[in-house]
Amino acid sequence: MILVYLSTSNGKIKKSSLEVLSHARSLASKAGIPLAAAVVDPDPARYSDDIASYGPAEIFTIADPIFASHLNQPLTQALSQILSTAKPSVFACASTEATKDVLGALASSLGAAALPDVSSFELISGGVSATRPVMAAKILAQAEAKADLVLVSVRSGSYDATTAPSTPRITTVEYQPGDIRILLKEILSSAGSQVDLNEAQVVVAAGRGIKDDEGKKLIDELASVTGAAIGASRAVVETGMFPATAQIGQTGKVVSPTLYFAIGISGAIQHVAGMLNSKVIVAINKDADAPIFQYATYGLVGDLYKILPPLIAELKTVYGR
Amino acid sequence: MNILVCIKQVPDVSAPISIRNGQLSMDTDRMVLNAYDASGVEEALVLTEAHGGQVDVVLVGPEKAKETIRKALAMGAEAGFHIQAENLDDFDSNSYATILAAFIKTKSYDAVFTGKQSQDTDSGLAGGMIAHKAGLPYAANAVGITSDGNGLMVKRQGDTGQEMLSLSFPCLVTCSNDMNNPRIPSLKGIMSSKKKNVDTISLGDLALDAAALKGKTMVTGYANVPARAPGKKFEADPAELASQLVNLLQNEAKVI
Ligand SMILES: Cc1cc2nc3c(=O)[nH]c(=O)nc-3n(C[C@H](O)[C@H](O)[C@H](O)COP(=O)(O)OP(=O)(O)OC[C@H]3O[C@@H](n4cnc5c(N)ncnc54)[C@H](O)[C@@H]3O)c2cc1C
Ligand SMILES: Nc1ncnc2c1ncn2[C@@H]1O[C@H](COP(=O)(O)O)[C@@H](O)[C@H]1O
Repeated sequence: MILVYLSTSNGKIKKSSLEVLSHARSLASKAGIPLAAAVVDPDPARYSDDIASYGPAEIFTIADPIFASHLNQPLTQALSQILSTAKPSVFACASTEATKDVLGALASSLGAAALPDVSSFELISGGVSATRPVMAAKILAQAEAKADLVLVSVRSGSYDATTAPSTPRITTVEYQPGDIRILLKEILSSAGSQVDLNEAQVVVAAGRGIKDDEGKKLIDELASVTGAAIGASRAVVETGMFPATAQIGQTGKVVSPTLYFAIGISGAIQHVAGMLNSKVIVAINKDADAPIFQYATYGLVGDLYKILPPLIAELKTVYGR
Repeated sequence: MNILVCIKQVPDVSAPISIRNGQLSMDTDRMVLNAYDASGVEEALVLTEAHGGQVDVVLVGPEKAKETIRKALAMGAEAGFHIQAENLDDFDSNSYATILAAFIKTKSYDAVFTGKQSQDTDSGLAGGMIAHKAGLPYAANAVGITSDGNGLMVKRQGDTGQEMLSLSFPCLVTCSNDMNNPRIPSLKGIMSSKKKNVDTISLGDLALDAAALKGKTMVTGYANVPARAPGKKFEADPAELASQLVNLLQNEAKVI
């Protein structure tokens, strides 16, 4: 069995989880093994119809109010309970900050092999073969794990989410809280962009070239007219102008939108590691030799403060806003 | 407050790199302290400067990796532990975590810090694995750490915001480089690091056997990232650049 853990946010299954479920469905059907999904949430039943459109034969659920917010110990406990009940040979999930938080502990407690943050994976005899970006995403490593249970986390945007309706059986697992020695005191949500970075079709990313409120306003306007999520480089997050949740790159998030605007970003490998798989990359930078131009589909050499106003105006006409 | 930081020696990922005979080949064989671990050392130093206690570091690696231990000692760590292991090709995060957890269990640190991931492999597994094996509660991806003397308050970068977590000692924290800017060792720090103690420990000392530590995962090959189609670069006056771009996005790339 392949079991896919589905992350939820704001009452919805995350798109990146549905991408993994869709790919797992094709692997399961090729291998002739069952596909199952797992949801851990205060109210998992609310997702059942949605999940059924993606074709699993069974949905394992754990319901408990504690899962309204993320905490590593309860999530690890819940997932190990589901895994002991379902006994899959492969566990797959989308790579998120929440799954990154638990993957190591989960693998260790189950004696499983783990392939984190892969950009693709296939079943092989006795395990899983996967492609993983390494060396700040400059190189692709082919990795293999052979074990009774292999855990795989998948970068968002690696696969398309495609439907294939089924009528899954629902198996509820009773949550047994363990000894919790960690306390969640508070969540400081960042008032970032309205659009989820991981799921955005368009990303407008700001770099250190954005120096003041005027620059930030231009970024906000460009994002609003293109319906984009706002991203940022590490250097501009450090100035405090953009929230850390917006950071794209090796330390930050990995995104793969259709259209990526790099505005005043030099193109350090650690930043590029998070955006290289964008379909079309637009770079605006006043330094004609900035490394970002090596990756840009369209590079505009010039002052962002002078280019953005006419660009926003033209885009407003195109989008009819 | 005594803190142990797990530090790894990694190749300098910013150096040019190529694939030769199926192996990675770097232009330089420069090895560096994993940037995330450097942030762990820095934060541990700041905490002990405020609350007393000392920072020690532990590294699993070959003889050459001793220079990385010296680097952390030059930053201000007190003592180093070098767990010697030569043929690392068979090791994965689980192998290192097994070794490190075995070592940690022989000690009694208030807190163990690791990096949130290795810069070269971006695995990000060892921290949680060590915590599980050593029976420690943990917080991952820390961007801030404070202490009241009995435990740690960790600000963790989560999916939609920052989660404030409270842990009592003993515990483990995996550190993001967004937490701080690691200090550059001073000349005095470098001089005094030469006199600091580095204990050499063998796998046998920890009752471990290299063969039994073989990873459950292995790399079978490397490939270059497929090159992107060459792009176009324009230099013109701003209004012209703007309309040229909009035209291309609409009619060539067809993305708007
Ligand atoms: C382990 C590690 C992990 C890292 N992780 C990340 C990560 O996740 N994300 C990340 O982004 N970085 C990361 N970094 C940092 C990275 O190496 C760079 O320092 C960072 O990306 C630089 O950000 P920047 O391009 O905004 O700033 P800079 O490199 O300072 O570039 C600013 C650019 O703006 C241009 N500019 C300035 N003014 C204007 C103007 N008026 N008009 C047009 N252009 C202008 C300049 O020409 C320059 O190219 C990491 C580093 C390390 C060591
Ligand atoms: N050989 C090692 N020696 C000491 N610490 C290590 C070693 N390997 C991994 N670690 C620690 O575990 C963290 C995560 O490693 P990884 O799972 O490889 O991403 C690193 O940032 C280090 O703190």
